[in-house]
Amino acid sequence: MKVGFEIHIQVNSGRKLFCNCNPKNDDSSQLEFRRRLRVSTSELGEIDPAAAFEIKKGLNIVYVSGDKTSCLVEADEEPPHEPDPYSVEAAIKVSNMLNSFIVDEIHFMRKIVVDGSNTSGFQRTAIIGLNGSYAFRGKNVRIQTICLEEDAARLLEKGEGYVKYELKRLGIPLLEITTEPLEISPEEAKALAESLGRTLKLTGLFARGLGTIRQDVNVSVEGGGIVEVKGVQKLEQIQKVIEFEEKRQNMLLEVAAKLKERGISEESFADLKPIEVSDVFKNHSNIPNVKRFFKDYAFALKAPGLKGLFSYETVPDSRLGLDLADICRLFGFKGIIHSDEISKYDFGQDILRELENKLGISENDGFVLVFGDKEKAVLCLQMVKERLRMALKGPVAETRYATEKGTTRYLRPRPGASRMYPETDIPTIRITQEMKDKYMVEIKSWEKAVEEFSSKHSINKEMAEQILDSEFTDFFENAVENYKNVPPTLLASLIVQVFIPYQNSGKVIEYDEFLKLLDEFSKGNIAKEAVIDVARYMLEKGVNLESALKEMNIEKLSLEELRKIIKEKIDEALQENVEPSKLYGTVMGRVMSLVRGKIEGKIVNEEVKKALENINKA
Amino acid sequence: MEKIQEFSRIKFRIKDVVYEGIVMPRTLYEDEDHFTVKLKNGYNIGVEKSKIEILEAEPPKILSEQPYEKGFESAGPKILILGTGGTISSKVDYRTGAVKPAFTASQIVDMVPELKNLASISVKTIMNELSENMQPLNWTLMAREVYDAFKDGYEGVVIAHGTDTMHYSASAISFAIENPSGPVVFVGSQRSSDRPSSDAATNLLGAAIFAAKSHSPGVYVAMHASMDDDLIAIHKGVKVRKNHTSRRDAFKSINAKPFAYVDVKNLQIKFSEKKTEVEGPMNIYEKFSERAALLKFYPGISEKLLSSVFNKELFDAITIEGTGLGHVSRKAFPYIKDYINKGGFVGMTSQCIWGSVRLTVYETGRDLLSMGVIPLEDMLSEVALVKSMWVIGNGLDLKVTMPKNLRGEISERREAL
Repeated sequence: MKVGFEIHIQVNSGRKLFCNCNPKNDDSSQLEFRRRLRVSTSELGEIDPAAAFEIKKGLNIVYVSGDKTSCLVEADEEPPHEPDPYSVEAAIKVSNMLNSFIVDEIHFMRKIVVDGSNTSGFQRTAIIGLNGSYAFRGKNVRIQTICLEEDAARLLEKGEGYVKYELKRLGIPLLEITTEPLEISPEEAKALAESLGRTLKLTGLFARGLGTIRQDVNVSVEGGGIVEVKGVQKLEQIQKVIEFEEKRQNMLLEVAAKLKERGISEESFADLKPIEVSDVFKNHSNIPNVKRFFKDYAFALKAPGLKGLFSYETVPDSRLGLDLADICRLFGFKGIIHSDEISKYDFGQDILRELENKLGISENDGFVLVFGDKEKAVLCLQMVKERLRMALKGPVAETRYATEKGTTRYLRPRPGASRMYPETDIPTIRITQEMKDKYMVEIKSWEKAVEEFSSKHSINKEMAEQILDSEFTDFFENAVENYKNVPPTLLASLIVQVFIPYQNSGKVIEYDEFLKLLDEFSKGNIAKEAVIDVARYMLEKGVNLESALKEMNIEKLSLEELRKIIKEKIDEALQENVEPSKLYGTVMGRVMSLVRGKIEGKIVNEEVKKALENINKA
Repeated sequence: MEKIQEFSRIKFRIKDVVYEGIVMPRTLYEDEDHFTVKLKNGYNIGVEKSKIEILEAEPPKILSEQPYEKGFESAGPKILILGTGGTISSKVDYRTGAVKPAFTASQIVDMVPELKNLASISVKTIMNELSENMQPLNWTLMAREVYDAFKDGYEGVVIAHGTDTMHYSASAISFAIENPSGPVVFVGSQRSSDRPSSDAATNLLGAAIFAAKSHSPGVYVAMHASMDDDLIAIHKGVKVRKNHTSRRDAFKSINAKPFAYVDVKNLQIKFSEKKTEVEGPMNIYEKFSERAALLKFYPGISEKLLSSVFNKELFDAITIEGTGLGHVSRKAFPYIKDYINKGGFVGMTSQCIWGSVRLTVYETGRDLLSMGVIPLEDMLSEVALVKSMWVIGNGLDLKVTMPKNLRGEISERREAL
C-alpha cells in the first residue's frame, strides 16, 4: 500500500490571493446573488457526469457575499488583481525550505470546478516548487509539488435544485504541498503528516485556527488506482482512514478476482444498457411497497456476475452497494435497490421473476434498480454501469471523502489533467535568482518550540505541546496578552481539559462567551476553581455564560457570608465534640462543600485558620 | 540550442531530475529566454532555457480543424446572428492560447442549448474586431447586413459585439436603418465565453428570445440586468451606455427604463414600455462621416486644444460634453463663436450623464444660446456624436436634424425613475 498527502494550509497574509479583501474583517452587510455555471459539451467529457448533469439541468447557485470580506473580484464581476506578493514570497520560502526546484516563471492556471464553489467556475492555481524533499525518520520524503492557489467558497446548504455558498473563504491564499506516495504504515503516515504540519506551522507563515489546515490523503494498494480522500480534518482520523481504505481496496481486489473466476470480462458490459421496467411495477401496483416507491418510471441495469458481491464487505461500510447508492444520490435519488437487497422490500416473487426475465439474468448475475425521473434514471444507471465495469479492475482512481468514523464514501471520479487551462487574466510572474536566494525560512525543531512555549508561559511541556498542536494557539496567546491577571496555567487547563476534548467530539467552539468568562474571573466574580467547571457546563449544555452561572448556582460569596458559615460550622463541630486535632479538617471540609466555586479555596483556608486561632485564644 | 517547435513533447533535465511535458506557445509579452512547459499534471511552468537540458523532443502531430457548420434549422421564427468580434464571439483556444472567433451555429447551440427549440438560427461572421477598433465603416457594413437580412425574410437580427463601444454601434444602426422590419438586438459579454461563469450564454439567450419573440421592431442592447444570471435587460439602442468597466450589469438605460426584460429561466419577455410597431417602409442611410467630434469640457482646458478642435476645416460638427446643465468656461467662448460664424455646428450635451441640458437657467447658458449653440436635450453625448456623423455622412441638415427626435434619442419628458 502506498500513501501520499496533499496538505492545504492558509497563508496568514492579511488579504486574499487576487484582491485586497481581508477575510478577518467584520461585515456590516450582506448581499445575495444568483448564478448558473455552464460548460460546453466539448469540455464535459472531463467533468464528472453527475456535476455535468446538474449544470446541464441548470443548477441554481446562490452566493452570500459580505461587504468587507469579499468584493467584485470574488463575485466574478472584476478581473483578478496582481497576486498577493506576501503569498508568493511564502510559497518561495517553503519551496526553499523543502529543497524544491523553484520555477523561473509562475503561470497561474484555471482548474475547472463546476460545483459552484468558485464563482468563476474554476480555481486559480500555480506551481511554485517541484521535486523537493523532507527529512522524516531518517528517510527523504519526496515533495512532488508546492502550489499556490485560492481557497474555495464555503458551502452553506444544498437543497432541491440549488446550492448556497458563502464567499468569505473564497480567494484566501493556500499552499498545497503534495508528497510522493510512499510505502508506509498507517501509523507512520500519521506521524509524517503530523511532522510536516508542525514544520509548516512553525514557519509562522500560515494562519492558525479552525479549518486553516486540511489534508487530502491518497491511498493505493498494489494493482489499484489512486484513491483521493478529502476532508480529513484530524490527525487521528488519518490512521483510521488509511486502515479502512487498505481493507476496502483489498476487498475490491477480491471482488475483481471473483468476477474473473465467474468468467466476467469487459465484453460482458459491452452491450449493456439501462432497461425500462415500469411495466413490471405497473402490473403489481396493489403491492403496498410498490405503491410506496414506484411513481412514474422504473429503470434497471443487469450487473453481470455481481450476484452477492454488492453486499460483500470486509470491514463495515466498505461494500460496493454503498458506492452505487452514493452515485445515485448525486443525481438526487434517495437510494438504489440492488439484487442482494431486494428481498427486504417485499415486492414479492412475481416481480423478482419478471425483472430477471426482462433483464436476462443468469445464475451469477445481479441487477440494480432505480425509481424516478426517466432522464436522470438513465444517466445514473449509465454511471453505475461504468462503476461496475471498473470493478473488474479492482479499486479505481476516484475521489472519496472521510467520515467522522474514519470510513470513506464515494464523492466523484478523479478529474484528469486536461481540465487545466491557462489563466489569461494574470500575466506571468518572473522569479529571479535574487528572489530565490533571498526568500528563505529555516526548519525549526518542534521540541525546541515546545520548550520555548512552555518556559515562556510557565506551563508544563505536555500542555505546551497540546496547545501548539491544537487550533487554539492564537486564542491562548491573545488571552495571555489581554488578561494579565488570568494565570496562563488556568488558560492552558481550559484549552487542554475542556476545548480540545470537546472539539475532538466534532463540535464548534464559540470563543466570545469564553472571553466573557475570563472577564468575570478577572473581576473576581468567579473563583479559579469554578472556571473549568463552568466552561465545561457551557459546552455540554450549549448555554451561554449567564445561564450557566445561574443554572450552576454560582454566585460570588462575600467575606462576611463566609465568616458566618465558618462560625456556624465551628459551633456545630464543637457541639459534636470533635477532637481538637481533627477540628481544622472537619470544619474546612464542611465549609468547602458549601462554598466551592463561590470563593477561592485559599481565602477559605486563611479564614478558617484565623477563626480557629481566635477560639484557641479565647 | 536548436529551436524546438511549439507543442513538441519534450523530456528535459533540471539538475538531476527528468521531467516530461509539452512546449507551449509564448505570448507577445513574454520573453524568449524561457520555455513554457505543460507538465503531465496539467500545470504550466516557466523555466529558463539555459537551465535545462533537453533529452528528447518529439514534434507535434497535426490536429485537424473542426468542420465549419453553416446553418441550423428548427421550428420557430427565422433569426440571424451576426458575429462582429469581441469577448462574446471569441474563444480562447487552450491548445494555442490564441483567441479565435467561435461563431458557428453548432457552437452557439452548444453554448446555449435552450435556443434549439426556440428559433431557426443562421449565423454569419461578418468581421472580427475588438470593439475599440470599430470604425464608422464597420457600422456601414453592419447596417447593410441588417438591411439585407430583413429583406431576405429574417424576423430578427442579433449582433454579437464587443462591449466597449457597443452603445456607439447600437446608435449608429438605430440611425442607419429607418423602420427596421423587426428587432435588431446587440449583445455582448463581460466574462469571456471560455469560463463556466460567462454571461455570454444567458445574454445571447435573452437577445435571441427578444429577436425571435418580441415582434417589436427597433434597435436594442441586451445585457444582464443585475449580478444575477436570470434576468436580461433590453435597452433602447439610443438610450444606453456602458457604465462599469467589468460588471455583468455594466449597461444601463439612461433617462429611461429598460425597454423590456427577458426572464431567461422561463423564456419570457416582460415589457416595461409600449411595444413598437412597423411605422413605414424600411430604408437604409448607411453612411457616416468622420468630420464630427466630441469634446469633453474640463476646468483648465487648454486654448491650444480648443483652437485645434473648433476648426471648420477639420470638422463640420462638434458635440460638447458640458458641465451641469450644459456649460463651458468663458475662456472657450471666442473659439465657439468663431467656429459657428464660419458655419460649424455646435451641439450641447451634459457630462452629468443623467438629466437634460437646459441653457436658459444661467447666464453662461444664455450666452451659448445666443452664439448659436444648439442644446441637444437629454441626448447622450455618445449618441449625439454618432448622430452628427450620420447626419453629415448622409448630407442632411445638422441644425434641423440634430435637435429633432428621430429614433427616441431625445425624450420629451423624463420620468422620476
